[in-house]
Amino acid sequence: MKDSPFVEVESLHFSRGDKDIFRGVDMVIPRGRITAIMGPSGTGKTTLLKLIGGQLVPDAGRIRLDGQDVHAQSRKALFVMRRRMGMLFQSGALFSDLDVFENVAFPLRVHTDLPEAMIRDVVLLKLQAVGLRGARELMPSELSGGMARRVALARAIALDPELILYDEPFAGQDPISMGVLVQLIKRLNDALGLTAVVVSHDIKEALSIADYVYVISDGHVMAHGTPSNLDADHDPRVSQFMHGEPDGPVPFHYPAMDFHADILGSGGPR
Amino acid sequence: MIETIRRLGRRGCDITESLGRAGLFLAQSAVGVPSREGCMLWLRQVHFVGVMSLAIVLVSGLFIGMVLALQGYTILVDFGAEQALGQMVALSLLRELAPVVAALLFAGRAGSALTAEIGLMKATEQLTSMEMIGVDPLRRVVAPRLWAGFVSLPLLTIGFSVVGVWGGELVGVEWLGVFEGSYWGNMQASVSFLDDVGNGVIKSLVFALVVTWIAVFQGYDLIPTSEGISRATTRTVVYSSLAVLGLDFVLTALMFGELS
Repeated sequence: MKDSPFVEVESLHFSRGDKDIFRGVDMVIPRGRITAIMGPSGTGKTTLLKLIGGQLVPDAGRIRLDGQDVHAQSRKALFVMRRRMGMLFQSGALFSDLDVFENVAFPLRVHTDLPEAMIRDVVLLKLQAVGLRGARELMPSELSGGMARRVALARAIALDPELILYDEPFAGQDPISMGVLVQLIKRLNDALGLTAVVVSHDIKEALSIADYVYVISDGHVMAHGTPSNLDADHDPRVSQFMHGEPDGPVPFHYPAMDFHADILGSGGPR
Repeated sequence: MIETIRRLGRRGCDITESLGRAGLFLAQSAVGVPSREGCMLWLRQVHFVGVMSLAIVLVSGLFIGMVLALQGYTILVDFGAEQALGQMVALSLLRELAPVVAALLFAGRAGSALTAEIGLMKATEQLTSMEMIGVDPLRRVVAPRLWAGFVSLPLLTIGFSVVGVWGGELVGVEWLGVFEGSYWGNMQASVSFLDDVGNGVIKSLVFALVVTWIAVFQGYDLIPTSEGISRATTRTVVYSSLAVLGLDFVLTALMFGELS
């Protein structure tokens, strides 16, 4: 079973307003592996996760999860399908009216008929994994950003989903919890055979755990391969991104008119 | 000129589209079999939306009843008809003031809170994460609030009327000296349960649906920024007030139109 495709993205097109975000993206995410999706900010990495989760509908192209077209499902079937995925949001997105324990227990309560004692055990196990068993009685407003993200991770894995989508799991973590998170993602994948998609631009961390990497830029898949392949890639755009060089073919600046002309006032009113 | 027409057309399309979205939204969230857990969520919302609005609605009812009696008395006494005070207070409250004023207060007190709460849930991605957990926020977040508003406002309206009539008695009978027997007697003789109480309750059911619908839809549909939330809360109060007053005229014409 391992290595057969779990998520297949086929010639995906998506635009917001006048801006094309994806112009034909093809991607295969193998089962039981960690796939990292990287790219400069603003390339729509989070949008891609929302497309996989069925929250956004592509303009053209298909996304299949375990062979089923995500966007051809009825609303009800889509909600059933989503029980097989967990998603870790960048902000955590914890329910602010529930405490940490209840947040992690939420998916268990709505989707299973487990007795209360069992729910307690599962929740404590998951919280232990992210190192926040002692914080179970805190409210989300009392957590730091990094802690909130770890609670959200515990919640995302509460139902032991087959696929986890991580949206920037490492951003804003201190070095210790960053290390713990990297190990945790790796361990979840090794022990439970989860398929993981990690969207990140923390290159070092993402590369250290990823089995396969896609680099997207400008609406296309710019490069893909195993981490070692990409590291040695000679395409100047890829190597600029992989090694974090400021100068290169990928522009740092948002598209704008010529700097001189803009400063010297021949441009618009602002 | 062409540009104006085009803008008008686009605006028309926008309005039609958002009406359609709102209708679909109502159908998807309000229709369905409630679960045991849904009932618990609903009860919680009845507390937040209904019970917490009790104080403002009852106090306003008391004052409106007192003012009605005071104003009514000074006019009626000129014609020697002050014994009809009870009838006047009860009919104006039951038919018009209680449903309308309670709905306006409800829009300000509970409607704006609903919009802000749902809007903030949207802005902090709580609704999205709920969807990803496989729970439909329309059923889990919106439906209990919608039904809580629909049930609470008519009850609040009845409370408003009761307290208002009592406030009228306080001013008219206790203070201004209208004979107690004629205050209550005339009221009993002239208020019809079906026509006056019944129609008042029907009005408040319609207002409850419209105000809560506007409030939850504005919250769910807003642009998730701080400016978006502030605009949506304002829109909730403005739209629901206008809708209540406009619908009140239509309903009154339908219910009492042929009387004159």
